[in-house]
Amino acid sequence: MALQILIQGFVLSGLYALIAVGFTMIFSVGRVLNLAYGVYIMLGGYIYYAALQEAGLPVFASFILAILAGVTFGLLTYLLLVRRLEDNPIAVEISTLILAVVMQALIVVIFGAAPKTMWPVIRGVLRFEGISVTMNILLATGVSWIVLGGLTAFVRYTHLGRAIRAVSMDRKGAVISGIEPSFISMVTWAMSGAFGAIAGVFFATFTQLDSHMWVFPLIISVAVVIVGGIGSIVGSLIAAHIIGFVETITTTLIAAELRGVSTMLLIILVLLVRPKGLFGRAEL
Amino acid sequence: MAGPLLEVRDLRKSFGGIHAVQGLSFGVDEGETLGLIGPNGAGKTTVFNLIMAELKPTGGEIWFRGENITRVPTHERVKRGIARTYQVPQPFGEMSVGANIRVGMAPDDLWKLVTEGADHAAEAEIGRSVGFSDEQIDTLPSELAMGDLRRLEMARNVAVSPALLLLDEVFAGLTLREIAHISELLVEKKRKDGLTYIIVSHDLRALAPLVDRVIVMSFGAAIAQGTFDEVVRDAAVREAYLGQ
Amino acid sequence: MSIDRETKRYLVWWLAFGVLMCLLPLGVGPGTLRILIFAHFLAMFAMSWDFLSGRTGYISFGHPFLIGIGGYTTAILSFRFGVPLYFSIPAAVVATMVGGTLFFLPALRIRGTYFALVTLAFMEILYQLTKVVAPKVTGGTRGISGLESIVTGAVNNYYLSFGIMFAIGVVLWLLIRTRLGVALSAIRMNEEAVRSTGHSTTKLKLFAFMVSAAVSGVGGAFYVHYIGSIAPRGMFEINFLFTILVAALLGGAETIIGPIMGAYFLTVLLEYLRPVMPGMERYLLYGGIALVLYVVRPAGIYSLIADAGRKMQEWRR
Repeated sequence: MALQILIQGFVLSGLYALIAVGFTMIFSVGRVLNLAYGVYIMLGGYIYYAALQEAGLPVFASFILAILAGVTFGLLTYLLLVRRLEDNPIAVEISTLILAVVMQALIVVIFGAAPKTMWPVIRGVLRFEGISVTMNILLATGVSWIVLGGLTAFVRYTHLGRAIRAVSMDRKGAVISGIEPSFISMVTWAMSGAFGAIAGVFFATFTQLDSHMWVFPLIISVAVVIVGGIGSIVGSLIAAHIIGFVETITTTLIAAELRGVSTMLLIILVLLVRPKGLFGRAEL
Repeated sequence: MAGPLLEVRDLRKSFGGIHAVQGLSFGVDEGETLGLIGPNGAGKTTVFNLIMAELKPTGGEIWFRGENITRVPTHERVKRGIARTYQVPQPFGEMSVGANIRVGMAPDDLWKLVTEGADHAAEAEIGRSVGFSDEQIDTLPSELAMGDLRRLEMARNVAVSPALLLLDEVFAGLTLREIAHISELLVEKKRKDGLTYIIVSHDLRALAPLVDRVIVMSFGAAIAQGTFDEVVRDAAVREAYLGQ
Repeated sequence: MSIDRETKRYLVWWLAFGVLMCLLPLGVGPGTLRILIFAHFLAMFAMSWDFLSGRTGYISFGHPFLIGIGGYTTAILSFRFGVPLYFSIPAAVVATMVGGTLFFLPALRIRGTYFALVTLAFMEILYQLTKVVAPKVTGGTRGISGLESIVTGAVNNYYLSFGIMFAIGVVLWLLIRTRLGVALSAIRMNEEAVRSTGHSTTKLKLFAFMVSAAVSGVGGAFYVHYIGSIAPRGMFEINFLFTILVAALLGGAETIIGPIMGAYFLTVLLEYLRPVMPGMERYLLYGGIALVLYVVRPAGIYSLIADAGRKMQEWRR
């Protein structure tokens, strides 16, 4: 039992960290909550599905297409919506929520309302001490660690990454030192879209494709931001693990139906006790 | 009345490891005007925030009219007669000058708030008393100059009829004429309503004629006090302001 | 209470609106009336949202939580325990206000974007819980159907729903015109400054939450008895929240009349599009409209009309 919780917890937490990373980035750099973030995840899943299972493209090409779709949509959200409302985080929140519902409708119009099953990215099951884990979810966890590691290296060691980090810490200071914040914003939104799409492919293989699938990842992302505080990468990684493990423990030990409830209660609890998050820091 | 109007005893406030106010004690008598000066970051605005209960002190006590108000919330302190202005004026941006004053005049009683209509005449009267023309009563804060915004804050404070008024950088961002107007207004209000002031200001020239006594703060503590002339001659003060 | 001239003039407009809507059943068929009944309920929900979020700036993403508490309370009491409606509906309103207090607690500590998210979390929790906790009472995923109706027929239901909506509208509208309304708006603009003018913002906020919850409770309770059923899906859903938000924002928040207009506009639009766009395309269209309008004109349709009216007057002169 304990081993099962440990393995499941790690795997789930890895997936959650991957889901949340794009959302956290936006919050950390722009101080806005992008409620259309779940749409990037949904879009990633659907585009991958359409390319692979309907158009018959190879896995790699389908992946690239999904990422491109995420990048495009992330940029569009920023340019058409967020940039116009940037000084007002509440307006951004309301308008991105409306955008999400609009996109949900668009997905139904294009792909129909019936849920679709996705093939796993890789097949096979790993058995260990009577516990079985699919290779697909293990790959998702691996990708999650690679993405987070890559991102950490990116913000530490590249010029662009350091500029992003500078803007996330102090926008005005960054402007003074010659960084163009609107360009940095565009880069972050594009990256957020890409991360969302990657997470979406794995999330969809983990559950299924349907037009409501954007809600759950969004809630997980929000929870990670709230529990972890203002977007430090390590903070969100830890937060993802807290959420993943709390959920695994609740579902295995108490009741499987309480899956979402534990996360919600965690959000409310943290917000009431420590509104700045457990590791409240204001940098990426 | 015996004893000071407001008394601060060993007031302390730290943010994490930074001691913004450390063991500050002073009193201000009814009808007195006290100047609070010091370099940037000395903790003057923090003191105001503490007196208004906008921050919780780390230690120490605040007494008003012989009552320990350290645990009394902001709005109750206002009702007891303390009010403040802000360094950056904080008008209700989408409301006319008159409506801004109305918020100040409103009683803290839901039933009265609903049943008692607005008293436009009284609003205009308060507006006039701080120097607004009748047309200006209907304008929005976004159309006002800095001097008028400071007046608006004064008006909102007058509306709550305080005994003690905390003025945070009232002269900042004003032209010489506006400074003269605000100074006149302060003197006149004091003469008419017997107000007590604590004034934080960097503009020592504007401050000098108004204050009875000055406290100099540096790094969260009082380093000197006395009349304006005594204080500016003080060596410690010069050091705090100018460095070595 | 003193009523100034301007208020009297607007009250005449309200009266005209009331008379017009009361005469409407003489001219239109039951199909149209049924559409308008939905508009009335949506208007109640949108007004409830507007009174809280439009006024105080505490954006609620969890109004379905409040509406659902009202709906479920009366549904369970009347259907499971045979409690008469004249008792179960007031009980539902009280229950919603208790729920509103729960809603209110986070508002003591957090505001802005985080507050909205907590309310969203409240809604999601209730969605999950109604499915699994005591399904024998709540009906689980399938919910409860076959609820008692209060009146029958389109005309009666039209008058009932309009009457409630109209009464709520006038009361809320009068409330926001008082000094209390001014103080609530001031909270949206600068809560700290409101405190430093001697108000207990806690008391003011609690009042706004209670009024909003009561309106949601009334709306939710009458709504479930009109449609005859309640289920977690459709109730605690982002699409429902979306419809409420869009109605309030389309019409123009902070006005009371705005949300009513938004609700009429949205329901009628939705209905007339049904033959052309039977499915989700409608959401696509009106979500798109709402989005463009929100970005270009945050004050909503009402402000467009008010501006047009002002221009007309200037032009006449």
